[in-house]
Amino acid sequence: MVTDFKPIVSLEDVTFSYNHHPAIQEMNLSIYPGQFIGIIGPNGSGKTTMLKLISGIITPQRGNIKIFGKDVRKIPRKKMAKIISMVPQESYITYNYKVKEVVFMGRIPFINQWQGETILDYQISQDAMKKTDSLPHAEKGIHQISGGEVQRVYIARALAQSPKILMLDEFSSHLDLSYKYEIIKILRESLKEEIQCIISVFHDLNLASYCSDQLILLNQGRIEKIGTPQEVINNYYLKKVYHTKPNIIQHPELSIPQVIM
Amino acid sequence: MKFSTKSEKSNLYGYSNWRYKAILIVVVGFLAILVIGFIGLNFGTIAIQPKKILSILWHHKTDDSLGLIIWELRIPRLIMAMLTGMTLASVGGGFQGILRNPLADPYILGVSAGAALGACSALAVQYTAGLYLVPFLPVFALMGAFVAISLVYLLSRKKSHLPMSDLLLAGVAVNFFFSAIITLLLAISRRETRSMLFWLMGDLSTSSWNNIYWISLPVFLGIILLVSSSLELNAIALGEEEALHLGIQTEKLRLKIFFIGSTMIAIVVSFTGLIGFVGLVIPHIARLLVGPDHRIMLPVSALSGSIFLIICDTIARTIIAPTEIPIGVITALVGSPIFIHLLKRRNENNGY
Repeated sequence: MVTDFKPIVSLEDVTFSYNHHPAIQEMNLSIYPGQFIGIIGPNGSGKTTMLKLISGIITPQRGNIKIFGKDVRKIPRKKMAKIISMVPQESYITYNYKVKEVVFMGRIPFINQWQGETILDYQISQDAMKKTDSLPHAEKGIHQISGGEVQRVYIARALAQSPKILMLDEFSSHLDLSYKYEIIKILRESLKEEIQCIISVFHDLNLASYCSDQLILLNQGRIEKIGTPQEVINNYYLKKVYHTKPNIIQHPELSIPQVIM
Repeated sequence: MKFSTKSEKSNLYGYSNWRYKAILIVVVGFLAILVIGFIGLNFGTIAIQPKKILSILWHHKTDDSLGLIIWELRIPRLIMAMLTGMTLASVGGGFQGILRNPLADPYILGVSAGAALGACSALAVQYTAGLYLVPFLPVFALMGAFVAISLVYLLSRKKSHLPMSDLLLAGVAVNFFFSAIITLLLAISRRETRSMLFWLMGDLSTSSWNNIYWISLPVFLGIILLVSSSLELNAIALGEEEALHLGIQTEKLRLKIFFIGSTMIAIVVSFTGLIGFVGLVIPHIARLLVGPDHRIMLPVSALSGSIFLIICDTIARTIIAPTEIPIGVITALVGSPIFIHLLKRRNENNGY
């Protein structure tokens, strides 16, 4: 599916530390379009930090991050919001906005302050709600719906932002099984459309293996291994990173590895 | 906006055009202010018949005592109450939005204590040095307010970011510190006590056309600027990082809202003293009425704040006339039961 040989995201020698605690160290990485990238690794290995670096929320102490060949530091926030959208792991919305209002917030970067929103903004928000099956809740308050429903609303909001790169931070923790399949299907389909690349942090290795074209295994702020799920999820790497011997089996229908207890 | 047909105008995919709603609300709100204001004009130490008031208003009569009472006392006071209520409520709404804290009020950043201290120290200087500083009180109040807010900002600012909890704590600390100095000044300077107490309890009895000219432009300008930041304030409700991902420059927005809000509050406080509860309660009521979308919520706050303060001031000056009750007492007495009632209802409905 690689249509363009230029990377859309590239990290060159990136180092970042929180108050002298190194979180990401000398990282080099190129991400090419058309791929679903999964980031896995133990707690504190720098997964979420990596997402924040790529989206320019935090700036590295050393090294360069480029998106579509342009230095992240030189991209204004508003322009960045039109390129990258983010589904947060968990976030509390202060006031009880209606679901449709939360999804509509994805359009904020596109709305001219003086002209206001257009019919197109409503249409895109509506489509995003439809895709994620949030439309039945459109008029409900965000505080009135369940955790899984909130996650679908966040995904709808991120889709309404019509990004080129979609980033997700453990998007599935509250989703039940049917919605997990459904959302993954939607995400994969969106990759064929306007979204050029999906980068998602996973806690669940099986889900990561199921979703991703490429996996990035992080260990203490460094990339331990990049490759297909088959290449990454095996006894050698998992033992090295998680310090425990995993039981790995093959998925009965797909040729992907799954980890069992 | 490119709305073409009528059915699309009213309701499109479950979204409706907020502009029509906002315009409707503003028109209805101003009509309500007119009606309630007129009713308020009827009350006072001297009873004046509604018909007489209408004719005084219509002919703009200021040549007899009744005309003077209406035009030089009651109307300026009414307009002052309106502008003050508007300011307190809309700034309260803005601060609650930017701080992501429904318990924030316009005084939270120490602005009020700063303004009051500025004014009180001017009065103290006047008393001891014999300089006549009364006409410059608003200037001193403004200076005090900016000293307070800069202090709060500098105290809570970390290297690269501004933690909200530190900001609130610094605000509380500065508030207490400044209030203590005011009390100290009160204790030392006996002669100016009455005029200093004014700053602490709130008072609209000194309203004049002159004051209104001073404050109306900053108030309206400030409200327009606040309302124009509505979409960004909505995004802030999602969380700091989420707002950044939506392209909001959160730090800049925060400074902007603080600056606008504090300036508005300082100007108003310098003329009316500290009137509590309006800025805390009214935005809640507005949110319960029309939801949290700041584009609607802020104008509704401003209008309900006006109405609320007009009613409270009418009560304050008439209930035990000719003696006046400080308006801050009335706003708290009227406001807190309403607030508790709304909170209870909110819990029953599982959120608002």
